[in-house]
Amino acid sequence: MSPIQSPDAVVWLEQHGDYLFKYAIFRLRDPSAAEDAVQETFLAALKAYEKFEGRGSERTWLVGILKHKITDHFRRSTREAPIGEGEDEGPEHAEFFTRTDGWDNHWNTSYAPTDWHATPAQLVEQGDFWRVFSDCLSPLPARTASAFTLREVDGLTSEEICEVLSITVNNLWVMLHRARLHLRNCLELNWFRREIGGH
Amino acid sequence: MKLGWYERLKHAIRFWLLRRLPPCKQTVAVISQSFERQLSLREQVTLKLHLWICVWCQWYLEHLALMRNSVREKAAETPEMDFPSAPTLSFEARERIKRRLSGDKP
Repeated sequence: MSPIQSPDAVVWLEQHGDYLFKYAIFRLRDPSAAEDAVQETFLAALKAYEKFEGRGSERTWLVGILKHKITDHFRRSTREAPIGEGEDEGPEHAEFFTRTDGWDNHWNTSYAPTDWHATPAQLVEQGDFWRVFSDCLSPLPARTASAFTLREVDGLTSEEICEVLSITVNNLWVMLHRARLHLRNCLELNWFRREIGGH
Repeated sequence: MKLGWYERLKHAIRFWLLRRLPPCKQTVAVISQSFERQLSLREQVTLKLHLWICVWCQWYLEHLALMRNSVREKAAETPEMDFPSAPTLSFEARERIKRRLSGDKP
């Protein structure tokens, strides 16, 4: 492979490196995986530079390649961890619905949702909220967290996610349900109740 | 305080329904699926009735919608964000990528 003539790799890295890294880390939540995805994106972009031909924005084109690299990462990490019987879909959180007063299978009042008084516009602006959000996703099994990210962040269809993660649509629904149950509770405990307590 | 007959009737209907409808544990699974597929008519009616009598599941549904909408809004703007704690490529990663881009083998 010959060194690059056009474009200048150093300038590229300066202009788009951090942008692509932020894009990747929001989805992968792992700095080294995000660095790898950015590196692979630049390498692939260099090889394919003739195809780009200056159509549209360079950054949009690079993000398009990065999306594929991120999906590849999810696909690879899935292959390394084949699915077991139920154990890697995430915690079932049966305790949320355990009651001894004759209303078993209804919300246990210690875990029942409360009113959050929040809107997407408010949450988007709060940097700390997203740190808590990321911490709350971390304890989930890799495949469940990946399913959640592909669905909720990138809005992929069920069919696309099932193909990437090699799971059935029923697996996917169970994973999404458990991820949501866990994440909602974690956000309530670590963000919303603290917020209310703090005022 | 003495409740009027209408209030007492409403209370009785709610109680009667809560005993007959699928409980919260099953309902939250259906709520999650409502974000993934079209619910059947039967599921829709059952869910509506449950939500009518259960504020916890109402909030659950609201929270799932809030999580989805805010995470998508956030994803759409993340790379532009310039708050101080915004993650950036480390010096080492930057140098490594530079070397790879100028044709060095790893």
